[in-house]
Amino acid sequence: MYRKPTREEKTQIKRALDKWGVFEALADKALIMHENNDLKTVCLVPQELEAAIVKMQPHLAGLEIGQLKKQFMPSIPGADIFARLGKRNKFYVTVNENAEKLVLYSRDVMGESIVEVSGELDENDLVIILNTKQEAIGIGRTRFAGTSLLQKGKATITTLADAGYYLRDEG
Amino acid sequence: MKTLIFPESDESAGLASRYGYDKWLVGRFLKYVPDIKEFLAKMEMPPTQYIRVNTLKTSRVELESRLESKGFILKHTVLPEVLAVEKAPISAGASTEYLLGHYYVQDLSSCMAVEALDVEENHVMLDVAAAPGGKTTFIAQRMKNTGSIIALEPSERRARSMSFNLARCGVYNTCVFKMDGIHAEKLGMKFDRVLLDAPCSCEGVIAKDVARKTSHRPQDVDYCSSRQEKLVDVAARMVRPGGILVYSTCSFAPEENEMVVDRLLRGFPNISVEPFEHGSAGLTSFGDIKFDNQLGNARRLYPHIHDTTGFFIAKLRVS
Repeated sequence: MYRKPTREEKTQIKRALDKWGVFEALADKALIMHENNDLKTVCLVPQELEAAIVKMQPHLAGLEIGQLKKQFMPSIPGADIFARLGKRNKFYVTVNENAEKLVLYSRDVMGESIVEVSGELDENDLVIILNTKQEAIGIGRTRFAGTSLLQKGKATITTLADAGYYLRDEG
Repeated sequence: MKTLIFPESDESAGLASRYGYDKWLVGRFLKYVPDIKEFLAKMEMPPTQYIRVNTLKTSRVELESRLESKGFILKHTVLPEVLAVEKAPISAGASTEYLLGHYYVQDLSSCMAVEALDVEENHVMLDVAAAPGGKTTFIAQRMKNTGSIIALEPSERRARSMSFNLARCGVYNTCVFKMDGIHAEKLGMKFDRVLLDAPCSCEGVIAKDVARKTSHRPQDVDYCSSRQEKLVDVAARMVRPGGILVYSTCSFAPEENEMVVDRLLRGFPNISVEPFEHGSAGLTSFGDIKFDNQLGNARRLYPHIHDTTGFFIAKLRVS
């Protein structure tokens, strides 16, 4: 079911957009909720369609940019939009070409393949994994904090989702 | 209207035997396909692969540069967003750029249907038989993700496949309804543009699916044309005055193309067939049947002439 977000959900989404540096970039777009059993998805839709979607309840509306659980978890299409429109901050990590291929097969990120990372990241932070062209290829969670993410021979970021799912899941 | 079957001739029997088709099919091709021998020879060759640049995410120049650096050889086509793949070192559907939604693997003919729509930013658009979403995503990029696209697809499986393509291409101005196009009037809306890429017998893609040379039956054409007539009637009623309906199929059969549009013109005097610059002229007769002369404005795309899969496009203006 598609519906407008509650006040509490709006606050959660606003915080998430701020975290990923896209609050201003998405200010003229509408975000609506899709609820299916316990799964709450945030969908980006044109503002002029918002009311019609809630009224007409289509099978699919707009672009699912993430899920709302305890915290907002971006989807791959969401990460793509955030990476293209967002202001870069500590939650974006850049990996080299070799790691790009591996991430697209759901493999974790090794420390030596990270080419750009903020020293301010904490352990367990959610990050968007970028390739060297600054395109979102995955979403990960840090296993270490700060410069420890660069240690060689260890997987330092767990890949939670990646753009390769389009091939794997569609097939 | 029953599918027209013509008496067997030495030529139809000879060509059918040489290229492995059922005789009835070649007998019909002889009536409406120009340069039949070149056509049949071309149908034996793998079709040219095309990719359509997704300008919501990248530019043609950028994509060309990235793919060419990986060993792809690409050639420009009559549509600026569409590139012919002359050489691909890996499957075009498995590159990083594909996964990131920078392009869609899509035949040039299919893109022509969208070209005929003349979509503009902020249009309200209906895509009647939308999955898997190749045309829908192209429409969205031509509209720069503005306005709204209502896409109809009755099958859950195909709607799911479409959702992947919309997501990969970064399209957010689209709503998909699990609905048969026959029931589109339930939406209670009128649209600036309507695309009916009608379910068809797929005669035009025999080069991709050679089993159709003998599995294709006249009853398939009968069934499809009957359904197409109903769908196009509904689609025509969904267009606001001044709007455009594009009717297309990937079939060569006149019963699925010119005959469907001819019947529509007789029922809707406010509809006219507008010229479209690409392709060859539509038929104005078939066997003993004469069509409205406007059908000459409709367009046929042939593999041996236009290097596409077989396709039919009618650009219909509703006044």
